[in-house]
Amino acid sequence: MKRLIPIAATLFSLIVVFPIFYTISASFFPYADFTAIPARLLPSAPTLDNYARSFSESNLLLFLTNSLYSALVGTILRMTISIIGAYAFTFMEFRGKNILFILIVATMLLPPDALILENYSTIRALRLTDTYLGIISITLLAPTHLLMLRQYFKTVSREYREAAIIEGCSDTRFLAILLLPISKAVIITLAIHSFSTIFNDYLWPLLVTNRESMRTVQVGLTMLGFSENLDYGPQFAAITVLMTPILITFIALHNPIQDSVSTHFTGR
Amino acid sequence: MKQHYHSRIKPYLLITPALLLAVLFSYRPFILTLINSLHTISLSGKHLSFIGLENYRRLFANPSFQASLSNTLRFTLFFVPTNIIICLSAALLTNRSGKLATLNQIFFFLPMAVGLSSSMMIIKMMFNPSIGIINRLFGLNVQWFNNRHAAMALLVIAGVGLDIGLDFLLFSAALRNVPTDLLEVAQIEGANGRQTFRYLQGPLISSTLLFVVVTNIKDAMLISSPVMILTEGGPFRSTQTLVYQMYLDGFKSGNYAMGSTIATVVFLLTFSVLLLLMRLERRRVYYQ
Repeated sequence: MKRLIPIAATLFSLIVVFPIFYTISASFFPYADFTAIPARLLPSAPTLDNYARSFSESNLLLFLTNSLYSALVGTILRMTISIIGAYAFTFMEFRGKNILFILIVATMLLPPDALILENYSTIRALRLTDTYLGIISITLLAPTHLLMLRQYFKTVSREYREAAIIEGCSDTRFLAILLLPISKAVIITLAIHSFSTIFNDYLWPLLVTNRESMRTVQVGLTMLGFSENLDYGPQFAAITVLMTPILITFIALHNPIQDSVSTHFTGR
Repeated sequence: MKQHYHSRIKPYLLITPALLLAVLFSYRPFILTLINSLHTISLSGKHLSFIGLENYRRLFANPSFQASLSNTLRFTLFFVPTNIIICLSAALLTNRSGKLATLNQIFFFLPMAVGLSSSMMIIKMMFNPSIGIINRLFGLNVQWFNNRHAAMALLVIAGVGLDIGLDFLLFSAALRNVPTDLLEVAQIEGANGRQTFRYLQGPLISSTLLFVVVTNIKDAMLISSPVMILTEGGPFRSTQTLVYQMYLDGFKSGNYAMGSTIATVVFLLTFSVLLLLMRLERRRVYYQ
């Protein structure tokens, strides 16, 4: 029985990872390999044609640029808003502090997917459709980030800040030379999380972009025009291009990722 | 004096962006959605008249909505247990040390690195009935997109593919937090694997289990993007879900009032799930 566990685990994990393996392998298939009998798992003669075609016959590169740009700008704004908010809620006293904090954090209870009809009208009324600001708009508030940053900032004694302020240190300086450096780990984790959330978003960017030139890669990927014609090679190549950097990051960082999940979600 | 005034206004300035965003993109649309669901609305978005709960009556009498509601509940019912069993067994099977176990763990959470639309496109191509690898590899002739049951099964597979990475990591983290001295005692006392899980690991990971079950239920009730990419609600509406119908009514057929009414139903469903979580969390869960 004990001997069977590693074998079962390995077989099971191979099934789970099979789609990723097949995608990478199929991105090198010549056209005929997709209909070969018996079905092929590895290319008969690996080719890079699919990659060349996925870039030359679609706007993949443009979509990718749009996504990277909006995820980058979105992450910076989202982190800034969360950091200054958490700073005020941790270190400052003001009237209505608790109720305002609850008001912001309670937005977690409202699922964004059920708000898209109204949010779309807002964005249209503000004339922000087909703009980067429109794409990132509803992702800019991250109540979970605000909550986690406040928890983290709380570990820094308020007396430090008071002493610093009395010594003539401004809030900006305190934030820049003390608070941010010691919170580096949590800020990086949250920033990575923000980046991948905005980068991977599908429904909202689909709604707020109509012009091909503003399309993000998650939306664009489903409209490249290859898979509709059963021309799978270039489609698998496009997916491989998109996922490879993230796969490598995940494999390289598997230890810190497992640790961060265990601290952030289980809270121990 | 100026300094004093400045320090009083400053905290408000710092929280203004967050507050503004909360109002603009959460509370305002939430309230407007509730109001819309009580009105008839013109194509240009103007309120025509207040009709009370008439929209809800119409909605629940509408066969398309009945289909969406039952599909969403059926999907939730199939997806949640499947996903929990798969992710929990993966975590239990790899709860060891060693190179092979680490490799298996990496394979289990790797799907997390593939974005939603990539995963859905991969599944769409792998399950294509004529040239997809699945039918050809296993010599099947399943019409994955034209058979009601197959399409629902496909959606469940898609859901598991999207969630397995994170849920596996959550379960493994919880299992690793079970103190090793307790496990050793269990082993010395002669407990087998099943007893160890039933009496030791199970109760100690129950808070994680509850968290995963509830977030799974919530996500399942909100499922829309996989439907959009994979099945477009077909065949014969058999995979049309609530949020997908909301999208169709609100954006494709311009039936804004109906879209808002469905959104309100979705709010109610997710609220009740969250309330359930809070109640259960207080009662059932064992903490160390």
